[in-house]
Amino acid sequence: MIILEIKNLIKKFEGIYAVNNLSLQFRKGQIIGIIGPNGSGKTTLINLLTGILEIDSGEVIINEGITISKIQPYQVSFFGLTRTFQNVRLFEQMSVLDNILVVLTERNIFASLFERHSEYHYKIAKDILQKVNLWEKRNQLALNLSYGQRKLLEIARALAMKAEIYFFDEPFAGLFAAMREVVFEIIQELKQNGKTIVLVEHDIGLIRNLCDYVFVMDEGKLLAEGKPEEVLEKREVIEAYLGE
Amino acid sequence: MNVIPQLILNSIIAGSIYSLIAISFSLIYNVTKFFNLAHGVLAIIGGYTVFYFAQILNWNIYIAITFGIVFAGFIGLILDKIIYLPLRRRKASNMILLVASLGIMTALQALLSILFTNEFRTLSRNINEQKIFQLLNGSLTQTQVIIIFVAILITIFIVLLLFKTQFGKAIRAISDDDEVAKIVGINTDKIISYVFFLGSAIAGIAGILMGFDIGIEPTMGLNLLLKGIVAVIIGGIGNVYGSVLGAFVLGFAENFSMWKIAGEWKDAVAFILLIIFLLFKPRGIMNK
Repeated sequence: MIILEIKNLIKKFEGIYAVNNLSLQFRKGQIIGIIGPNGSGKTTLINLLTGILEIDSGEVIINEGITISKIQPYQVSFFGLTRTFQNVRLFEQMSVLDNILVVLTERNIFASLFERHSEYHYKIAKDILQKVNLWEKRNQLALNLSYGQRKLLEIARALAMKAEIYFFDEPFAGLFAAMREVVFEIIQELKQNGKTIVLVEHDIGLIRNLCDYVFVMDEGKLLAEGKPEEVLEKREVIEAYLGE
Repeated sequence: MNVIPQLILNSIIAGSIYSLIAISFSLIYNVTKFFNLAHGVLAIIGGYTVFYFAQILNWNIYIAITFGIVFAGFIGLILDKIIYLPLRRRKASNMILLVASLGIMTALQALLSILFTNEFRTLSRNINEQKIFQLLNGSLTQTQVIIIFVAILITIFIVLLLFKTQFGKAIRAISDDDEVAKIVGINTDKIISYVFFLGSAIAGIAGILMGFDIGIEPTMGLNLLLKGIVAVIIGGIGNVYGSVLGAFVLGFAENFSMWKIAGEWKDAVAFILLIIFLLFKPRGIMNK
């Protein structure tokens, strides 16, 4: 089943194409890698799909039904999409625990004024923070965490969203081996639960080990797609991405 | 006669008024990241609303006060909906938002002058009938006691709102990173509108209290706002406790400087204090 489809997506910055007439299909339950040289449009694509940037033209179709040409960032979670950022973005002045609880916050104004987080919310937050080994740090401000812990907290926040599609932008970058293992397991577990994971990653080894399918982008266009073992052998991919 | 007790009391009263403006300004600044120069005039609108209903239409004073608070909040909400929100959606820079707020301030100030003239107005009908309280060898009027209590109550209310409610968490999330707040599903535009209402209503309370204490005139909003901004900066931008602390530091600095130098220097003291902080502690007292 195709969970996310983009058709003829275009984004220009000052006349230069960052995403150039791109059409892709993401299948449910797969780990999909997006690779490409720096500036190939990978992060721009995720920014378009999560409403951070406005789409110039083209369509995004979710669950083979909902067609959207303009995504408001706050609606992204309603469509079952969530993401992390290449440069970690947390709620810095909030505690580790609050960074998770805010995701579970009541959206109705009056309810959010008078209802407090229940045991149920705390249990979800505890389970998620234990998964990334941050439960002990729950009362620390996010800004006081190390780089690796910040990265894990951002992934934990995405998990709390209970989304259907997870966009992880370089989730392994700068992590120690033990932390990489945690992220690796989280991604595998999400896949086992039928979730779709989109990985923007530079580490070709990880792409080979983790991904079911790969899109290779270059200059905002799709250069190649297919299974990692096939795609990574293609001459044009090696030339464009690996520079060989 | 020992003037220090009275200076302390005057400083606390000034600090209380400044803290109301600083907290409300800070609430709006934290979620929008621009200096809303129209904020001060909303305080004065609160005062003039009470003046209109209580003294021109002779309504019950408590109903008039309620109207004044809600009306100031409502004007703040409307300004956000029809001016600031469309500008934010067009990704207008903070400078454009600031200039827009300057225009709004000027227009609202002119409107108040047209409607009520530039004459000084007081909301107290019988100033001489006010009860006087003696405290620490100084004296306070009934209104001034209310000012101090209201400032304490509003501060407690805002702290509880921000740190103990889910709504407060959403506000803090927007203050930290509004884009990420959207990604996690927070309707930031809606929350910001509520914050405009809340912040403007608190400014309205400050204006009403000033109206009862010393009186109001259309142009005093800017001066009041500037004091609020100075308090926020010296306390530490983004920190609610810092805003309150900054307000009292400013209140004490202004009043104690009057002990030795002429009263005309009062405003200069506030801005000298601001410059000292900008030079030597630009992040304010509370921010490391």
